[in-house]
Amino acid sequence: MKKVLVVDDSLSVGRQLSQIIAGTGEFEVIGPARNGVEAIKMYQTDRPDIVCLDMNMPVMDGPTALRSIMAIDRNARVVMITSLGGVGDKFTEALKLGARNVISKPFKPDEVLKVLREL
Amino acid sequence: MPVKFFGQFLLEKGIVTREALLKAVGPQDSTNLKFGETARSMGLITDADIDRVHDAQRSEDLPFGDMCVKLGILTADQLKEVLAKQKAGHLFIGEALIKTGAINANDLPKYLEAFKADQAPYVIDKVAIPAGVPDAALWEAAADLTYKMLSRVAGFTVRPGQCVLTQHLDANDTVVSIGMTGSVKARYLFSVSTNVRTLIARAMLNTDDVSKEQEDMLNDTVMELANVICGHIEAKASQMGKEIEISPPEVLTDGVNGIPVPTGGKGLLFPLHVAEGRIEAGIFLEQV
Repeated sequence: MKKVLVVDDSLSVGRQLSQIIAGTGEFEVIGPARNGVEAIKMYQTDRPDIVCLDMNMPVMDGPTALRSIMAIDRNARVVMITSLGGVGDKFTEALKLGARNVISKPFKPDEVLKVLREL
Repeated sequence: MPVKFFGQFLLEKGIVTREALLKAVGPQDSTNLKFGETARSMGLITDADIDRVHDAQRSEDLPFGDMCVKLGILTADQLKEVLAKQKAGHLFIGEALIKTGAINANDLPKYLEAFKADQAPYVIDKVAIPAGVPDAALWEAAADLTYKMLSRVAGFTVRPGQCVLTQHLDANDTVVSIGMTGSVKARYLFSVSTNVRTLIARAMLNTDDVSKEQEDMLNDTVMELANVICGHIEAKASQMGKEIEISPPEVLTDGVNGIPVPTGGKGLLFPLHVAEGRIEAGIFLEQV
């Protein structure tokens, strides 16, 4: 079973996303990590198969954490979480840094699972 | 709260009882279909089309019908047909109250006239930003996105009040702040009463019962809704050629005492009238 690390500073988003991902029994959820620093630590210790990484977080934001995770493992499969509606420089920046896809908030469970299954 | 819904007006004037009003809302819910539901009932679109439109609306702010045309799901003529059917089949609360016997059909015009007169000072078609405020188009879009996200994400029916300059955001039960930097230096404030927070939590956590949730979780749902709103404002700003960065949301612990506009700054207040409680949104600009 693939391990998915959820990274989001929001309690409600972390819970909602974890429920969607774990709900079908296809994935095991670890975390949630609450910021980029925690995400990097958990990536090193738990080696998740997939990381769902929020863009906008305190302490260390998503793009900065993404850079570090990709430096640790250039094959890391990271999906960014954003409420930016799929536009803006941050979106393309994340893809350039190595993110595989982007999930928009508010979540649609089918869409989230589809993105994860295709990784 | 001066801005009201017609049903609320009738209730406050003692023309109908709460029970009669609730009884009339039932037929309204079952009769008044959304655009997508109406189009589906006409055999013009499928559930998969509805999903496609919702997906596309995340990256472009277009009404459902217009997005259908843009995606080639409906023609412009079909869009008009659906809108006409939706309009023709709409059951207004006044009609529903007649149907359920709460009011007399002959009295409805006079009640509507009285309601119109009562509401005339508060009705707005467009958010008008007071003169002299920089980046007015962006703040107009911010207000519009706030109304839309409250409706789409949290299911509220919002009637916007007119934007006014203010020196402070009034005290409220939960006040969330999100900083904006880059092309603008501002703070987005979003305040809700406890009852509204409960409804937001239900919508955000996708559950009917949030009575056992901790304060942190309930506040977090309000922060997340404000975050989604500001994310869309950031995206809109980008489309308008302005790059802004938003900070993570925080609950202001001094929100119960009201929030003053920073010295030298300007405060925009966007009153939001909902039947369920009190919501206000504000934009505080630094050093204007």
